[in-house]
Amino acid sequence: MNQQPFLRIFTAPATLCAVGFIAAMVAVLQYSLRAYVPGSLDPGGFTLANFADLLKPLYARVFLDTVVVCAMTAVVTLIVGYPLAYALVRVEQPILRSILLVIVVTPLFLGEVVRTYAWIIVLGNNGFINSLLLSLGLIGKPLQLMFTPFGVVVALVHVTLPVMVIMLAAGLSHIDRDYSRAAESLGAGPIRVFLTVTLPLSLPGVVAGTTTAFAWTFSAFATPQLIGGGRVNMISNLVYQLGFSSFNFPFAATLCVAGLALTALVLGLLQLASRPLRKIEVH
Amino acid sequence: MIPRSTYQKVLGWVGLLAVLVIVAFLVLPAAVVTIAAFNDKPILSFPPQTWSWRWFGRALAYEDFRQGFFNGLIVTAWSSTIALCVGGMFAFVIDRYKFPLKSAIEGILISPLVIPHFTVGLGFLILAAQVGLSRGFAVVVICHVILVLPFVLRSVYVSLRNLDQSYEHAAASLGAGPLRVLTTVTLPLLLPGLVSGWLFAAILSFNEFTASLFVTSQRTQTLPVAMYNYVREFADPSMAALSVMYIVGTAALIAFANAFLGLGKVLNIEQSH
Amino acid sequence: MKPSASAEGEHTAVYFDTVTKRFDDVAALNAVTLGVGRSEFVTLLGPSGCGKTTLLKLAAGFLGPDGGSISIEGKRVNDIPTYRRGIGMMFQNYALFPHMSVADNVAYGLKTRRVPKADRDKRVADALALVKLKGMENRKPRQLSGGQQQRVALARALVINPTVLLLDEPFSALDKSLRTSMQVELREIQRRLGLTTIFVTHDQGEALSMSDRVAVMSEGRIRQLGSPVDVYRSPADPFVASFVGDNNRLRGQFVSMQAKQAIVALGDALVRVPGESLSGLEKSAAVDLFVRPEQFDVVAPEEPCTIKGSVVAQIYQGGHVDLQIECSGGAGERLLVRSPGEQAVLRWPMGAPVGVAIQADQCSAFPAA
Repeated sequence: MNQQPFLRIFTAPATLCAVGFIAAMVAVLQYSLRAYVPGSLDPGGFTLANFADLLKPLYARVFLDTVVVCAMTAVVTLIVGYPLAYALVRVEQPILRSILLVIVVTPLFLGEVVRTYAWIIVLGNNGFINSLLLSLGLIGKPLQLMFTPFGVVVALVHVTLPVMVIMLAAGLSHIDRDYSRAAESLGAGPIRVFLTVTLPLSLPGVVAGTTTAFAWTFSAFATPQLIGGGRVNMISNLVYQLGFSSFNFPFAATLCVAGLALTALVLGLLQLASRPLRKIEVH
Repeated sequence: MIPRSTYQKVLGWVGLLAVLVIVAFLVLPAAVVTIAAFNDKPILSFPPQTWSWRWFGRALAYEDFRQGFFNGLIVTAWSSTIALCVGGMFAFVIDRYKFPLKSAIEGILISPLVIPHFTVGLGFLILAAQVGLSRGFAVVVICHVILVLPFVLRSVYVSLRNLDQSYEHAAASLGAGPLRVLTTVTLPLLLPGLVSGWLFAAILSFNEFTASLFVTSQRTQTLPVAMYNYVREFADPSMAALSVMYIVGTAALIAFANAFLGLGKVLNIEQSH
Repeated sequence: MKPSASAEGEHTAVYFDTVTKRFDDVAALNAVTLGVGRSEFVTLLGPSGCGKTTLLKLAAGFLGPDGGSISIEGKRVNDIPTYRRGIGMMFQNYALFPHMSVADNVAYGLKTRRVPKADRDKRVADALALVKLKGMENRKPRQLSGGQQQRVALARALVINPTVLLLDEPFSALDKSLRTSMQVELREIQRRLGLTTIFVTHDQGEALSMSDRVAVMSEGRIRQLGSPVDVYRSPADPFVASFVGDNNRLRGQFVSMQAKQAIVALGDALVRVPGESLSGLEKSAAVDLFVRPEQFDVVAPEEPCTIKGSVVAQIYQGGHVDLQIECSGGAGERLLVRSPGEQAVLRWPMGAPVGVAIQADQCSAFPAA
């Protein structure tokens, strides 16, 4: 008698997908170790020169910018997302809850391009914000919001906010309400309840949300490309540029590998830092 | 009303204000795009002097958008369906069985969540070139399957976790074989999870941009890629009009999903009592 | 009636004055009035949905009343938030903060009250000693057994010297043997400290064994308020009679009133029962008699008895035997009869014809609904 019916049939397609994905990643790794032959789509022999090139100030700068933008976006998203997640979990009226949920979730499914385009219209020199401020007489000439790190971070926060809110809300919703009731019954006011009970118990969600926000921002392409406009460059933009403008696929692959290593490092550090949190058992 | 001190009430109002500001921030781009879409002039200005619907017509008539839309439908239909089958079956075995390499395969299939899409795109672009596959729909579909699989896996896995296995045991005790149990008990009970997983996958695939930019060609470009190229070249409100249609369509779909599937449950954010 | 039950007196610690609470359009509490005396242990007993937990949450301030008022120590608290009420509460799942040690959990309420550290440490140590948990200070809640967790929850609620202790089914998560010993222990501590306590449970055994007074609730009202003996012996209405303890309901017909006793016909037999609640009934009006299983005597069928029947089930319970007796001639009505000791097992075997006599002066009678 087969105790695990369908095991092989059900596992085979997934295994095939996993193998395909690994093959694609190995292809990237392999290309990162090949020489660039200018004017040719085929790579040259094996070399480590690409990795040495990473240390050039031009590229090191892009890495630094990327990490700074990602970190800022993750932190701002966390601060902006927390109140919204809290409201989403605590709102009692079902209709209000649904409206809030749809408002939060819809942007998640709009895709990067539509949202980035919308932000161009908001931030542009004759865009919404500048027109508003000009007509109110608050400024004399348009503020430069496009092509600045500020503009990129604002748009990226908007991109990562839904996923942050969902992850925080998932964490918050699994905290038994009796914990905060117990704290209140022991004389703790609202701020003390939040700081000593709700916030510490939601930290696993905070870590998960921040991690995801970081990874998503790292992956963003259209936002830094269109709003950064070449003046705010992230690894993604450089990879595309190298690949499709100069057909330097080996170095593009090297950047991808280095980017992966960087992501792994940051996420690993976050996991390590949050280790004590995993001991918190939330029922 | 729950008894509240003045202090708590003030805090509550501050919190409410903060939430309203954040919601405004979330909604602002969509609102602004909507205003821009009805601006009659081809150049951006706020508030618009004259209003018109004409950019909607332009957007619908623009050949790249039309082609991108239909390409997107093809890619989405294939990739979400394949991902649902692959992910659904695999979620079943990870929920139920122990077997060698289980966590390895699971880890690999979940990893696209944290691997940048440009890396995935570049990987499949290079792989396709290496195995001599032309830049057709096949590569795009495979790439999308990999990217949406984590979401399908999670969605179906959560439904399986919440499924009481005693129904299946009851069916088995009544003489149903594994296949009959699967088709008459497990699948019907799992239907909401499967539908939401499929919907998730479809929406994500239709919107996928960065990886698509790498693996599509002029012939297979999906709607987001077409939109990206348009934004780089033109500044007229056609794109705003298309964005409005996009936003309305997506919001309607989400509201529908919420009403019928309970997004709160799917996203696992229902308050536990 | 005790003065504290009807009006707010100087010995009243907690007073609910015609409190009403609705959820949507359903009345969870319907003009409930209840006074809890200082140092008194009052239990709110009832089936789920009867409003007992709502009443407790109103006392705690987790909910606000839609009508009426609530006072603690003579002070109206309707608009006072939980954290300024000075209550102590034990939750069903204890709600021990999982990210804090045992000592930090117990010290929490003292910190909110800004008790200086030296004093705080001493009081935490005393509280933990009181619940016999010395040496566990640095453990995390999840490292403790269910019984130990409950002791921590109790220490946490006691250490702040609450004006009133609120207990929300705190024993429901414990297994039976542990439950009994915790009940005894809690009651001892409560008596020693003279703590006003409101206890919510759906377990009538727990309510009877622990309380000074029991408030039996159903459908948002208090159906009866009295000592455990009162509630068990003289239920105020058919609901209380059937909810508290095992009871048999026998349908009879009212015959007449003699002094304070009523004569009721049960089939061919006449029984004399306490008649307070039957006054004013017309002859042959339907009457429900509630007879406890131990208020029956099983006799040989030929001896004088009220009801005849045969044994259909024997349930050996250790200290006593429960018999199910099917009444003959009736519509298959079954009686639960309790017989002390073990003799009944042999004396009244399955299928044996028996007679059942009623200790009628002990039973309760109500006009049939």
